[in-house]
Amino acid sequence: MNEKEIEELKAENEKLKKMNEVKSDLISISSHQLRTSLSALKWILKMFIDEDLGKMTSEQANFVRKAYNSNERMIRLVNDLLTLNHSGDTTVPYTITKVDLLNLIEQTVFEFSGETSKKEIDLTFLKPESPVSSIDCDENMIRVVLQNLIENAIKYSNPKGKIFVSLLQDNEDLKISVHDTGIGIEEEDKDEIFKKFFRAPNAIEKDAIGSGLGLYTTRNIVERHNGKIWFENMSGGGTTFFVALPIT
Amino acid sequence: MKKVLIIEDDNFLQGLEATKLKKNNYEVSIASTGEEGMEKINESGIDLVLLDLMLPKFDGFEILKKIRETEDIKNLPVIVFSNLSEEKDIKRAKELGSTDFMIKSNFTLEELIGRIDKILKK
Repeated sequence: MNEKEIEELKAENEKLKKMNEVKSDLISISSHQLRTSLSALKWILKMFIDEDLGKMTSEQANFVRKAYNSNERMIRLVNDLLTLNHSGDTTVPYTITKVDLLNLIEQTVFEFSGETSKKEIDLTFLKPESPVSSIDCDENMIRVVLQNLIENAIKYSNPKGKIFVSLLQDNEDLKISVHDTGIGIEEEDKDEIFKKFFRAPNAIEKDAIGSGLGLYTTRNIVERHNGKIWFENMSGGGTTFFVALPIT
Repeated sequence: MKKVLIIEDDNFLQGLEATKLKKNNYEVSIASTGEEGMEKINESGIDLVLLDLMLPKFDGFEILKKIRETEDIKNLPVIVFSNLSEEKDIKRAKELGSTDFMIKSNFTLEELIGRIDKILKK
């Protein structure tokens, strides 16, 4: 490659970087504006549901609840788009620090206690028996990975189900697993599950709120940490997701 | 009765926040611009500020900074209530001394009242 071609490539690269910045700004600004209207809708619909604005017939209440859930789905989509915009934008470097995964998992599991008690789900962190190494990672991004996996496990679990989160260390990796006793993943959906906007038909039937971006974003983040993500359907029912992150 | 200052430029959101606060026995004062917010933080009897970040003229960060730098009101609880959610915004608000940071679309107004009650130990 001669000097002129190198210069042209550099200029092209700069142009692409600028376009990417414009795209990120556009997503960020439009999401902020969308969230303002979605917040207003959320609050006013909740005021109707709570009968702050007077009594409704059961038919009216039913429609308002459906509108509220639909709005929640839209909020979820905007949140996921923002996370995806940040996590997948390779021009924005991750903030890498030494992170104690055990502590991070403990905190994240604790944050879900309200949600699990609503469905009477038993969420347990099976701590490793021997000490594990800290790893170099972006703490906020790995928190998103944990949140997405635990949230999915809750969403697709039946009431009174069980979820186990574990952490193990082998020679090269720290391995996190999230096991649920939920509805599982159909064989024909196995290759689709990490694709953008994919939602499994059994998940849609279950009416779980989701944008189809959670696992796509999760895989993006794990792969940007040079890690691996996969899942297995368990013979006794339910699914286990595994994330392996290299110890550097 | 405890008094909450709402600094919010969206009229509709501002109205809903005020209605909910009044229903929960709070007195409410309202500022619709950053400039108005800068003036009203010195109003007497304010117990807590509910602060939006994207505001005309002065933004929420500037107002928060001003509160923390003003002797008489430097300990006033401030809940940043915004739809900005980037890590840099949350970090900046925390560094400037926000008491809490809540993303509007992720919380109902009951949850907001719950946080305010807790801060003011009502």
